[in-house]
Amino acid sequence: MSKELIRLVDCVMAFDEEVVLNDINLCINDREFLTLLGPSGCGKTTTLRLIGGFQKPTSGDVLFNGVRVNDVPPHKREVNTVFQKYALFPHLNVYENVAFGLRIPKKGEHGKKIKLSEQEIDARVTEMLRVVNLTGFEKRSVSALSGGQQQRVAIARALVNRPKVLLLDEPLGALDLRLRKDMQIELKRIQQETGITFIYVTHDQEEALAMSDTIVVMDAGRILQIGTPTDIYNEPENAFVADFIGESNIIDGIMREDGVVEIFNRRFKCLDSGFDKDEPVDVVIRPEDVDIVAEDQGQLKGTVTNVTFKGMQYDIIVDFYGFKWLIQTTDLSPVGSRIGIKIDPDGFHVMKKSEYSGMFGDYSSYSEEYDEIGDASLELVEEDAGDEE
Amino acid sequence: MKKQRHFKSRLFMALVFLFLYAPIFILIFFSFNSGTSSMVFQGFSLHWYSELLHNRIIMQSVYTTLLVSILATIISTVAGTFAAVGFHALRKRPREVLTTVNNIPMMNADIVTGVSLCLLFVVLFGFYESFAAWFNGVQGLITLPKQLNMGFGTLLIAHICFNIPYVILSVGPKLRQMDKNLIDAAQDLGCTWMQAFVKVVIPEIKPGIISGALIAFTMSVDDFVISYFTAGSSASTLAMTIYGMTKKRVSPQINAVSTLLFVTVLILLVIVNLREASEEKSAKRRTAAKIYAHRSESRNRRIAPVLQRVGAAVLICAIIAGTVFAGHVGKSERVVNVCSWGEYIDEDLIDEFEAQTGITVNYQTAESNEALYSLIEMGGADFDVIVPSDYMIERLIAEDLLAELDYSNIPNFELIDPRFKNLAYDPENLYTVPYTWSTLGIIYNTAMVDEPITSWDAMFDPKYAGQVLMINNSRDALAAALFSLGYDINTTDEAKLREASALLAEAKSAGVYQAFVMDQVYQKMEGGNAAIAVYYAGDYLTMLENNEDLAYVIPDEGSNWFVDAMCVLKSAQHKEEAEAWINFIASTESNLANMDYIWYGSPNIEAMEQYPDYYYELYEEEIDQETLDIIITPADTLERCQMYRNLPAKTLALYNELWTDLGV
Repeated sequence: MSKELIRLVDCVMAFDEEVVLNDINLCINDREFLTLLGPSGCGKTTTLRLIGGFQKPTSGDVLFNGVRVNDVPPHKREVNTVFQKYALFPHLNVYENVAFGLRIPKKGEHGKKIKLSEQEIDARVTEMLRVVNLTGFEKRSVSALSGGQQQRVAIARALVNRPKVLLLDEPLGALDLRLRKDMQIELKRIQQETGITFIYVTHDQEEALAMSDTIVVMDAGRILQIGTPTDIYNEPENAFVADFIGESNIIDGIMREDGVVEIFNRRFKCLDSGFDKDEPVDVVIRPEDVDIVAEDQGQLKGTVTNVTFKGMQYDIIVDFYGFKWLIQTTDLSPVGSRIGIKIDPDGFHVMKKSEYSGMFGDYSSYSEEYDEIGDASLELVEEDAGDEE
Repeated sequence: MKKQRHFKSRLFMALVFLFLYAPIFILIFFSFNSGTSSMVFQGFSLHWYSELLHNRIIMQSVYTTLLVSILATIISTVAGTFAAVGFHALRKRPREVLTTVNNIPMMNADIVTGVSLCLLFVVLFGFYESFAAWFNGVQGLITLPKQLNMGFGTLLIAHICFNIPYVILSVGPKLRQMDKNLIDAAQDLGCTWMQAFVKVVIPEIKPGIISGALIAFTMSVDDFVISYFTAGSSASTLAMTIYGMTKKRVSPQINAVSTLLFVTVLILLVIVNLREASEEKSAKRRTAAKIYAHRSESRNRRIAPVLQRVGAAVLICAIIAGTVFAGHVGKSERVVNVCSWGEYIDEDLIDEFEAQTGITVNYQTAESNEALYSLIEMGGADFDVIVPSDYMIERLIAEDLLAELDYSNIPNFELIDPRFKNLAYDPENLYTVPYTWSTLGIIYNTAMVDEPITSWDAMFDPKYAGQVLMINNSRDALAAALFSLGYDINTTDEAKLREASALLAEAKSAGVYQAFVMDQVYQKMEGGNAAIAVYYAGDYLTMLENNEDLAYVIPDEGSNWFVDAMCVLKSAQHKEEAEAWINFIASTESNLANMDYIWYGSPNIEAMEQYPDYYYELYEEEIDQETLDIIITPADTLERCQMYRNLPAKTLALYNELWTDLGV
């Protein structure tokens, strides 16, 4: 187990009576890649700003190495930030942007101001530009760079200070899909190369799954689940997490006994246990865990109502007794055809009922929901508007 | 058809620009005129520019103007920038309220701002005086000055006051355009807030700061009204000095100084526009995303900021040094504050007096007796010596505003012709020493009338319809009518005054008067645009220089003669120095110099006797008797003339009423 670096204890944040963070408890370990994941307005950026020192918690403590740092201003924290829209200094070129932090004299251990020599600054800036693949761009104006290049300047500018922790606030939000995928790999590489703790904020679950050691799922100012990407995906705590991380069909069920769950009045074998007898539960079935079989061989039988070709697979919507499921398959079943399905016991994940029960997991309004998820830029705009006040 | 319309619109544009710029070009043109006329170009010369450089009063006011503008610009730019940052940090609602509050002073009339600042200073100084009196009374360690006066300090405060809103207005939008995460980013990288402000925010909003500073500077240089009310007596800006000159003739030096001012503003504007253009260009270049990595260029760019910094440091040092120097000069122990009229002294006399006595002279000008009176009455001035006209002296004595003089300090008073002592305005001669005297009379163009004019009747004669210029001043105009009717010019009889007013009204409706004028009389008479005018003797000689056909007459009915005399205000803080100044000016040498410079009569017996010789020595030619008689009106002519007396309030009100009814 690596050692603990940052801990948030009972952090509450309120602006004018409006609570934006509620009782946040979070532990961040050294060299960890931790992602704060949640929809816009869930409090993830605020959490980041608490760690960065740009905001003070209304109550609760922020601890660095066990020391309370609530009142330590940003410039005295061993933390650097990559801002959402990079916040590069337009009047400085690439080199000077990266060198900015190095040129500020820092207080050393004995209260003496330490100023780096030009050679050292030059060596560190050059090295950092190499790390982010921007060698040769030193003299360019930052406004003449592409979005991805600006992004990398922002990362270099933060990392060159050798912070203990790097905070990244939706750093890839403004990039196009292809570039985003490249930068995900790039960021992960940089994190591994430098060994710096990354705290990463995003609303994109795929990004979170691809890069993180730990994912923190947040909604409405609370932490819903903390875990590794596989834990979060396979064992979501509640319907919200299940729905937010990947696609899922969430069905009302009853836990008849350990290893037996009932949905649609049929009993299925599952691997879950530890529930009361006959306890009502939410059952998650991931679309890729469903096998399509001939109608007469199926555990359940339904009608295909919608088919979308996705390249690698078809997304088909199947109506089972009035409940619409999303199933991903490589075989085409035309709209209107009757099919049967089979689910293995490890395809079921049983969750306790929560406040989110019944809100997610039904694909009746399939098309609209897809639009919403697909339009990340829309979400960004909304978030900006929210920041304004 | 289309072509024609095109032509018409172009013509219209040309006319618009002609009207906009013609006045300025005429002014620039005449600033190179070798003569005094503003009608006739008498040849190219830089004469007025060199005169200007030697004109102590104008140069002093240029210096004051530049110093106050630069200091006010620097202070208001710094204060305004921080205020804008403060505004920016506020939430939307309070920010909007504050922005509106900030905008109001800019829309406010200058006169309101000026008067209210003046009142504020007077009230604050009043509080201070009672505090200082109490403070000095209760303890003996530190002695506070008894009294504070308006001067450079208040002028500077006023300028800072009206400049700040402009700076805020110009910096605000740049802050709004700035990425609001920039400060966070800089702090994140180790800056304190102040470091972040200097390293990141200032470079980002620099264009706004610079244009704010330039606006502030031009507003400051330009301002007259607010300065007028807040400068007190010891400071005078260029605009105030120019305005002060208009009581008498505006010297062509003003054309020169206005030209310089115009050129300065033009250069500033060009700089601003070039900056904006180059910024736009570089913005375009950035968006085009063309990339050049010229190492040599970047090296040059590194040197440029260093040069800029050195330049800024030098400029600031120069300003501080200038201020200290100015403060040092102003600190001279002995000072006298003189308020006179524009173009009313040979300025070499001021230098001479300072060299002789070590007393610093603050020489200011007012534009009329009435304006001077209101300055004194408002308490906005701390003049020591003033030079009002006779009737105003009578009023000031009646209101107990003048101090009795100690004539043992003014031995040169002996040299004043007894004819000018114990005059009606100061019957026991306790308060005054005469400065100049002259007469009111009729100036006419001999080429435009068939017979010499000898009577005031000419001013009302329909024969000269459209040819006569009546003076635009109720006292002098009604005096002309009263003389014509054979009444006393100091009458308080309402019927007689109404009769005189009716005479003026009748002539006016008969079209006798081309216009009612003051200063324009020069252009019109010199250019032969009018045949007859009422004006003052000394000024006639100025006109004669440019038009030899002109003649001056004191009509048979008599006329007004007047004396401007030096007095000391009761509130004067430098009475001893004031008396030294009066004594110096009353000397024969000073009187000769002044008489030759302003062509008004001197009251000094020796000066009157010696003037022809003095003139001969100076110009190597005899002064002709006619000219001499105009400068020094012969005794027998003077006997026909009367002085104005201060009229009772009721009669003054009647004058106002009649003058308003006349509808000039």
